[in-house]
Amino acid sequence: MKQKQRTKFSLKRLLQDNSVPIMFVLICAICFPLAGYSPSYLINELITRMGRNTFLILALLIPIMAGMGLNFGMTLGAMAGEIALILVVDWQIWGIPGIILAMIISIPISILLGVFCGNLLNKAKGREMITSYFISYFMNGVYQLVVLFLMGPIIPIVHASLKLPRGYGVRNTVSLLSMRQYLDNLLAINVNGVKIPVLTFIIIGVLCLFIIWFRRTKLGQDMRAVAQDMEVARDAGINVDRTRIVAIVISTVVAGFGMIIYLQNLGNFPTYSAHMQIGTFSIAALLVGGASVERASIGNAFLGVILFHMMFILAPEAGTAITGDSMIGEYFRTFVSYGVITVALIMYETRKRRVKSMTGHLLAQAQKEEEARSK
Amino acid sequence: MENTLEKKNRVKDLLDSYGLPRLIITCFVLLLFIMAPMVGADLTMQIGNVINRFSWNAVLVLAMVPMIHSGCSLNFGIPLGIIAGLLGGTLSIQLGFTGTTSFFMAILLATPFALLAGGGYGWLLNRIKGGEMMIATYVGLASISFMCMMWLLLPYTSPTMVWGLSGQGLRTTISLDGFYGGTLANFLAIPIAPDKGLYFPTGALLFFALLAFAMWAFLHTKTGTAMTAVGSNPQFARASGISVDKMRLLSVVMSTWLGAVGILVYQQGFGFMQLYMAPNNMTLPTVAAILIGGAAVNKASIPNVIIGTILFQSVVTLTPTVLTAMIHMDVSEVVRIIVSNGMIVYALTRKVKGGAK
Amino acid sequence: MNKRRLVFQLLLVLVLAAIAGVMMLIGRGHTVYFDNKPLEYQGTSYESPYKIEVHVGDNADGDAISKLYEGERTSATQIGQEITITLIITREKGGDEEAPVTYTIPLPYNMDGPIINLPAYLAGLPEEAYLSEFVPVITEEPVDEEIVIDDGMSLGDF
Repeated sequence: MKQKQRTKFSLKRLLQDNSVPIMFVLICAICFPLAGYSPSYLINELITRMGRNTFLILALLIPIMAGMGLNFGMTLGAMAGEIALILVVDWQIWGIPGIILAMIISIPISILLGVFCGNLLNKAKGREMITSYFISYFMNGVYQLVVLFLMGPIIPIVHASLKLPRGYGVRNTVSLLSMRQYLDNLLAINVNGVKIPVLTFIIIGVLCLFIIWFRRTKLGQDMRAVAQDMEVARDAGINVDRTRIVAIVISTVVAGFGMIIYLQNLGNFPTYSAHMQIGTFSIAALLVGGASVERASIGNAFLGVILFHMMFILAPEAGTAITGDSMIGEYFRTFVSYGVITVALIMYETRKRRVKSMTGHLLAQAQKEEEARSK
Repeated sequence: MENTLEKKNRVKDLLDSYGLPRLIITCFVLLLFIMAPMVGADLTMQIGNVINRFSWNAVLVLAMVPMIHSGCSLNFGIPLGIIAGLLGGTLSIQLGFTGTTSFFMAILLATPFALLAGGGYGWLLNRIKGGEMMIATYVGLASISFMCMMWLLLPYTSPTMVWGLSGQGLRTTISLDGFYGGTLANFLAIPIAPDKGLYFPTGALLFFALLAFAMWAFLHTKTGTAMTAVGSNPQFARASGISVDKMRLLSVVMSTWLGAVGILVYQQGFGFMQLYMAPNNMTLPTVAAILIGGAAVNKASIPNVIIGTILFQSVVTLTPTVLTAMIHMDVSEVVRIIVSNGMIVYALTRKVKGGAK
Repeated sequence: MNKRRLVFQLLLVLVLAAIAGVMMLIGRGHTVYFDNKPLEYQGTSYESPYKIEVHVGDNADGDAISKLYEGERTSATQIGQEITITLIITREKGGDEEAPVTYTIPLPYNMDGPIINLPAYLAGLPEEAYLSEFVPVITEEPVDEEIVIDDGMSLGDF
């Protein structure tokens, strides 16, 4: 009897803990027949999107490990990647070398932005997420300043295909035709008409290994200690502020690489808005995979990318099928992205409050016992 | 010797309390005003524009005050109020009201939505004390994208509002000519440069003054001081028998309702109603304005609203004309983005003195 | 300990810079144009053959990128500092094809679109004779592009 009750309880817990992924499976299951895509098309699309986006999503893991929540500042890395790509396109470095060069150029920019962001976040402990959110918007302004006004007169841009006719600023779209899908096509294999970008997946695998290794290093352990309790970590001799900055810097650099992988797959990008939604969508995808604000694993990232993109592919068609308006599905998937983040944030805050009141209770109880004992 | 040191300290204190970014922005605005005649811009015209834009935005900025007072920090969830206002506005037009009546009907029709949305939003914020801003931001974004679907699906039929071709789904921009466009501004309007269509919007300013006075008066009532107490020291407030949750809920409802009225005032000045993604564009300027006015995450007053709106709108109005004429590049958009977001980042990273944290 | 770390970091920066340098060399992309046009150089005129079949690579097995008759031009994209082509030349109309010959032509780093005049190259003339730069015809754009700055939510794919 007792045994049965326990299993029932744990099943409930299981459902509760995984409510978001389960909800997404349901949404996809409903949308799938309505959209009417063939399974092979769907798988092909899904594999492409997995290769394209997983790296970006993995950039979020390390700040979560350091207790800094969802790093909306990953947009900074995306901007660094875009600036690197613009330069590489202008220098006419093509193909794989171009991609590698862009990654190397993005590193110093990402580090700079990451240090900037990390320092600010250290001044806003306890509200890292909202601060990183607005830092990304602030830096977006700086990015526009650099790309729209400084590129040309101060940062040399030679090619007319990039530069606006007025002599400064970059055009609305940057074409990456010279390196489009080079990474995906090298070593790609074709299984029953499904193209698998093996090299891209290997790179993602390497990043996963790095994250697993990093968790075991001294620095990784420090980060977890900082996430547990900053005061305790400081007493234990950990440089809390520095550890947090390092977490953000790593995240920014990884996001920069991720953006380059993402854009080489797409083959061109809107210069002034490509990075804007990256943070929101990456975070939503990670949360869909069952991650929370304080805990996220590599598995969450992969599951999230599959479920989130399944919804992303299916929603517009399904929306059109139901309402006859193609915009509905587009709005719907935007709504779901925001909605998922909202729900995850609410769950995080309520849990935090519950834990707080619970520890308060425990503390009071312990105190009482102590008093009783001393008597 | 000691005297100068003291003076120095005083200057430093003053600077600290005023805040470096605010100082920079104030100097920037002054510079813009000084430069304006030099680059050949008509100063009266510019000032007139600033006053007009002030009259559009001030009520929205005022909507920030109650929530900051009760310790719910910056209201990034203002889109919720804006949506209530949009519902009121569209319903008023749909029901066939025109002219000034349509404006007040819009406020009336928006009120139940504002109360409902504000109530739910306040209830939510009471369960997640300490994390208001992040959740407010995403509640705002989620509700905007939800309403994007609704604008397409709700059965509006008024031919001025729906797409002409398909006959269903609201347009992205709806002209308010013949409805409440300019309703307040034209009331007792004083001409500044009538040939250029520039008038002093007496009515709109009076309307704002009325609301601002009401807010000031409210903050001095028993309920108002209780609300302030909740914001500045919740423990103390609870100890003296004030229901913290109730006060917070009230403040959120007030903010949301003011947001709804605010967007209607904005629309009557602007002359158009913007739907779909547009409500999102109102959040940043509103929050940034009150911060530039000297408010902090947990402290705001009516003067903050007025000064902040004037400063921010001056930046927005003057940079395109003055700065473009000076450096021959249109950096106004970039300046606007950097100023508004920079101000918010500054406020968030500032040490909060004696706050709820 | 700290010194070792500094050395390690410095080394890492150097290695990355070195890789970047190598990438800039081997990744430089060119659009190479091949001309089959007669020319005059230092008083001597060089005739162009009737037909040149151009293959990229060191053999003539695959499809030719083009068969250039007199006065024609073709192009190929190439990543790196040189291009290897294999040519099959037909001197006269109706004449026999000659055996394929492979050439490796260095490409100048600072030229996006080098034009290689094949008759001049085949005659063994110096670089200044066979190489020139392709300058795209600039079509004057009357209006500037409208730059849309986006500072908020927008629909998008991911």
